[in-house]
Amino acid sequence: MLQTTSQLLSKHQAIEEKMADLSNSLAEKYPEQAQVFEKLAKDSLRHRDMALRAYREGVTDAFEVGFLANPLDPEDYVLQEPIGDLSEDAGTMISNMEVVIQFCIDAANNSSTLLPDVPETFMRLVKRKKRSIEKLKELA
Amino acid sequence: MVVLEEPLKEIVKIQNYIDGDWVESESSEAREIINPATLKKVAEVPEGCTEDMQAAVDAAADAFPSWRKTTPLTRARYFFRLKTLLEENFETLARVCTMEHGKIIDESRGEIRRGIENVEVAAGIPSLMMGYNLEDISRGIDEILIKQPLGVFACIAPFNFPFMVPLWFMPTAVATGNTYVIKPSPWTPLSMVKLMELVDEAGFPPGVINMVNGNVAPVQEILKNPEIKGVSFVGSTHIGRDIIYKEAAATGKRVQAQCGAKNHLVVMPDADLDSTISSLLSSFFGNTGQRCLAGANLVMVGDDEDWNKKTITRIKDAASNIKIGYGLEEGIQMGPLQAEHRKKRVVGYIEKGLEEGANMILDGRNYDSSGYPEKCFLGPSMFENVTEDMTIAKDEIFGPVMSIMRVTDLDEAIQLINRSEYGNAASIFTNNGKSGRMFQYDVQCGNIGVNIGTAAPMAFFPFSGMKNSFFGDLHGQGRDAVEFFTENKVVIQRWP
Repeated sequence: MLQTTSQLLSKHQAIEEKMADLSNSLAEKYPEQAQVFEKLAKDSLRHRDMALRAYREGVTDAFEVGFLANPLDPEDYVLQEPIGDLSEDAGTMISNMEVVIQFCIDAANNSSTLLPDVPETFMRLVKRKKRSIEKLKELA
Repeated sequence: MVVLEEPLKEIVKIQNYIDGDWVESESSEAREIINPATLKKVAEVPEGCTEDMQAAVDAAADAFPSWRKTTPLTRARYFFRLKTLLEENFETLARVCTMEHGKIIDESRGEIRRGIENVEVAAGIPSLMMGYNLEDISRGIDEILIKQPLGVFACIAPFNFPFMVPLWFMPTAVATGNTYVIKPSPWTPLSMVKLMELVDEAGFPPGVINMVNGNVAPVQEILKNPEIKGVSFVGSTHIGRDIIYKEAAATGKRVQAQCGAKNHLVVMPDADLDSTISSLLSSFFGNTGQRCLAGANLVMVGDDEDWNKKTITRIKDAASNIKIGYGLEEGIQMGPLQAEHRKKRVVGYIEKGLEEGANMILDGRNYDSSGYPEKCFLGPSMFENVTEDMTIAKDEIFGPVMSIMRVTDLDEAIQLINRSEYGNAASIFTNNGKSGRMFQYDVQCGNIGVNIGTAAPMAFFPFSGMKNSFFGDLHGQGRDAVEFFTENKVVIQRWP
């Protein structure tokens, strides 16, 4: 179970990097749509860094960092490998993006009593990721 | 569970950092530094001696004339370089802190961040150190106030924040043009070794910042050496008041001694329970209770038995579920006490609480240390029906023990707090602004939290403290620090 801020950030880092890897693979698989997937990969890594920076620059012993209100189950946030044609793969990536969005929402809600900058950043990421879903829907 | 990689692979043989060089101690005695979670030896540190400290003070005194003439802007740039290096080594510093102290990685990162913030503030010294002036105090006569450095300063650091506490003092002292000697805790010296490596890399001139390890002898030399103009100390009230404050002041030194605490956290019936409980857990049990801002006495206000019972039950349930283990495992929420004797001391207080009739509702002596050796671990303990005269309500326990007291109203809570011999910190949890204001107005403590469990002042505010929690006039950090490390010189001039 994820019950510390550090664990939340590590899990977030892992799923954003996985999203970036999957997106880069699809960019190679579909050269005509490479731009869309490369942008997706770049965004994932940027989002990883945004959350990490919010944590690193906000973490302080003045506030509460070690106690999450409701622990999260990491198994609830597993990404699928896209293994179909373009339309199916775009659908898989939409599902994956929804998983990442759900993680960000859950992380924000359960860390709201902790470092204020971290949940705020997770919610900003949710908005950005919803825009990416619209791009993927054009391919699905 | 993910275990973060330990940055220290071999046993570190610690040297002193004097005059820009790493040098062996003149002392032949050394002590082992043990990781309190794994019980593995991580370092050997010299016990230190008078000669070590004399050499460091001589180096600092030699470096002072040139350093004070270095422009404030140039001095600030050294701190910009140090800040960059600290950011680059952020994670390593945090993990070293966990390895020597035992605190969880989130807490170590918080400690590193607050240390860095003090470096950032010091980098603003050209503005912070400005004096002031008034022309024509009489016709044709001007008066100017200039802030000047004094010489060599030293700090005697505690074990509980091995990285952060020396940085409450050193950056401001050095940025204002003084030179410096750090005496780390003999229990947790590694964080300062890492800092000195970065100080060296940042290129500070030799002798400007020095570090001498050890225990009693180097401290005695700090107190009596006439070259040292001021001392910053963080530790117990007995040492701070009866030794540091008295002996250093006797030789004319400036002193800021930040000492013990017994902090009360007051919960009003209108408090938001979700956020309050999260704050309480962190305040009472964060850093395994080993901080001078830790919650010690929980004061429940009002006569609503249902609310009281519900709140205590929720705190107890949450405290029971705190996961204990090695701080480099990311899911761990509470690490060990820093050393076995500290655990024994806390256990002694738990037994005292039982003897004196407090009702134990959670026994920290029963715990699961997640497979790590049990020597230094202890779980959270909670006592109900604690009265003001009990030892556990009065003494600083410095461990994860919560003493719960009941009062009928806020007035009574404030009177209870003000009767304590300590005045370090107090917090109130409430949704009522009037209660919050009354609390901040009337409570005789230096650091007040309103819906904040650990009222730790940021680098640009003084770390305050009153009564037996502070001895001296000017506190660490903020404008107080600039005043502490500078002398005000007044010039009155007339040019005929």
